[in-house]
Amino acid sequence: MNREDKEMPGKERARSHKVKKVIERMGKKLNRQMVGSFVGCVHCGMCTQSCHYVLANPDDPTFAPAYKADQIRKIFKRHFDWTGKVFPWWVKAQDVCTDEELDKLKDIVFGKCTNCRRCSINCPMGVDFATLNRMARGLLTAVGVMPEGVAVVSKDQWEIGNQMGVLKQDYLETLEWLSDELENEFKDPAARIPIDKKDADVVYAINPREIKYDPRTISDAARIFYLAGENWTMASEGWDMTNFGLFSGDDELGASVVRKLFGKVIELGGKKLVLSECGHGYRATRCEGPNWAGMDVPFEMESSVLTMLRYIKGGRIRVDKTKNSLPVTFHDSCNNARSCGFFEEPRELLNLLVTDFREMHPNRAENYCCSGGGGAMSMSEYTPLRLKAGKVKADQLKATGAKIVVTTCHNCVDALTDVIRHYKLGMKVAQLVNLVSSALVIEEKISGVPEILQPAALLQLKGYKILVVDDEPDILTFISTVLEDQGAVAIQASDADQALELAMKEKPDLITLDLSMPGKNGGFVFEELRKDPELAPIKVCIITGKPELRRLIYDRPVPPPEGYLDKPINEETLLVNVRKILETPHDGKKSH
Amino acid sequence: MSGTLGFVSDELQLMALGFMAIVYFLRIRWLLRFPAWRERQAPSGRSDTSSFRGIIYSWVSIAMPWSMESARQEFFFYAQFVIFHLAVAADIIMSFIIPYAPSLMKPMIVVRGLQVLFALGCMIGCYRLYRRLSNPYIRQISSPDDFFSLILLIVWMFVSIWAVPNRPEQGEGALMTYFIMTAFFLVYVPFSKISHYLYYPFTRYYFGKTMGYRGVYPIKRGPEPGPTKI
Repeated sequence: MNREDKEMPGKERARSHKVKKVIERMGKKLNRQMVGSFVGCVHCGMCTQSCHYVLANPDDPTFAPAYKADQIRKIFKRHFDWTGKVFPWWVKAQDVCTDEELDKLKDIVFGKCTNCRRCSINCPMGVDFATLNRMARGLLTAVGVMPEGVAVVSKDQWEIGNQMGVLKQDYLETLEWLSDELENEFKDPAARIPIDKKDADVVYAINPREIKYDPRTISDAARIFYLAGENWTMASEGWDMTNFGLFSGDDELGASVVRKLFGKVIELGGKKLVLSECGHGYRATRCEGPNWAGMDVPFEMESSVLTMLRYIKGGRIRVDKTKNSLPVTFHDSCNNARSCGFFEEPRELLNLLVTDFREMHPNRAENYCCSGGGGAMSMSEYTPLRLKAGKVKADQLKATGAKIVVTTCHNCVDALTDVIRHYKLGMKVAQLVNLVSSALVIEEKISGVPEILQPAALLQLKGYKILVVDDEPDILTFISTVLEDQGAVAIQASDADQALELAMKEKPDLITLDLSMPGKNGGFVFEELRKDPELAPIKVCIITGKPELRRLIYDRPVPPPEGYLDKPINEETLLVNVRKILETPHDGKKSH
Repeated sequence: MSGTLGFVSDELQLMALGFMAIVYFLRIRWLLRFPAWRERQAPSGRSDTSSFRGIIYSWVSIAMPWSMESARQEFFFYAQFVIFHLAVAADIIMSFIIPYAPSLMKPMIVVRGLQVLFALGCMIGCYRLYRRLSNPYIRQISSPDDFFSLILLIVWMFVSIWAVPNRPEQGEGALMTYFIMTAFFLVYVPFSKISHYLYYPFTRYYFGKTMGYRGVYPIKRGPEPGPTKI
């Protein structure tokens, strides 16, 4: 226990240094709205049933929003409210003194509340519980009392500039290979992701999760911008639109992050900042950012959902909703719906993208939290609590009968994925950008690119030896047959050990490598290949149905693969890419 | 009417009221000392709303039980809330009518109507006390002030039932108790949870302003469960 003074029997308890700082800081943070929420609660209990933690833990009254708020309110009353100062016991005002008490408060404000604001809109008095909770988080964060995950992520955002600690080089390299893929797809040198382009109409900012675990969403967005003919760019720095300051309650971090983002847009002369689908990022940047930073932002900001909707309505891109025919439901992100009023545009866009939409109940501003809000996904110590509270969301999802749940938030994507897995719902989670991308009508664009329409017969592979690695027999047969039809010698391996053994024995010209395999995965095979001087020259093309596993390859300290393809794959795409890879040596020059 | 009853029904009430006004003035001044939060960003959400609409909606939402899920799903509790607060308001108004406009209380229908209202208020108060004691969620958050304020109102309304006829000539006990309790009530209220009505306009104003500016208020609900068309 960190005490400045020792407790004396019969005397008022001494406060630890941290507690003193918390109380001192509370005095500075209080504003009229917060004080109103502190003094306005009448303990009527109307908020109780609005909280998903309460509904999932009906026997534990400590989950009640009013109870949780009271743990903060009692400090306020004891130190800042006259009745609490004079008659503390009468109004349940109470001091906190020790670091252990701060730890208990931490478990409440971080572990038992996702700041979803559902109780706030259900309070007859207008008490904004979520604002009080966030303030308490900020007070604790300021003295270092916070979940480890929050500390780590906040540190990365302070020091590296993005919440996942993605280094500039990695970020740029990822955008580079995404650009290569895009260029390859459209056979157009202009089909690339522009970096730091001056005076662009759109500066696109993303969630670092996209660059690290889900680059598919970036390439989907890039395809859309390209097909819409948008004058757009991404920034080399200040590209993280997420903001852990919203979760940790640290307004200084919040201000620092948005200043970087806003500063870069101003430096580039961007006309509009478009924010990828991220609930808290949208709220933090669009709604809270200017307040934290004390800036009047000189450019427009909008969600990419609105941008895509405008493209479709304006005829800049065409979509075919029959391409998304599975039953779909929509989960409103709390930060979007309850704190920014952003709930109709996603539905309007969905209406253009899917054939079978099923509304979730309740919805819009009354929707339940995904269970991973408020940074809960980064607080592993509270995962069991989070998953238990996720039962409410699981029931909501199940009742829709949908196969896909769409959301406009990366945080919700992860939390819903967890809930779906935990409660065995057998659903998939998608974002609107994925649905737009999959519904795109791009025949006209492709027809202008003669290379893609080359007959397969021209792509002769005679003389090449190709090792096909995949654990699924159907895919193994399909790829081998396509390659053999063009004259290649195809060798098959269905697991990692067999792949390495055959690679050593046959020394193929190319290996097509699946990532997700039982036992040792494709990432392991790839690293072994690259590390072995004898096998390192063999070209590798990753073919995977799980783009999120790209990290298995790109996080490794070895040169990247020569090619990358998403499943499902068709004959033409396979042959075009295989041919291109075989024609290009490791140094990038044509070999044939 | 005795001089003592005249004093407690008039001068004492004015003194208590004056005291309450002074404390409320100080309380509001204290609240206004804290800076108000200002939204710098452009308005978000639906274009058919605004800070102004949000504020109005927020203020009147208490009279729109359908606007809030908590009231919608607990309609019995909401109905109690309405009756209980009407009874309290009528009780306060009665403390002005008896000394200054007693003729308004003459019609038997007014007397009986008020008695029924106070009796209902009293019963609801008792139920609320029971709920506060028996519901673990509510008990957990209840302070001595919560219990005392509720008991005070129950007793006050019970006494009021006998004070309504306003017949000092038949005995001053009920009226005397009623006015002394009212004076105590006026003095105690500014320090208790009962003064929530003082904060209501502030909390609701700021919450409504924020939610209106951000396009959340007025709450827009989707279609009811069933086959959905968007």
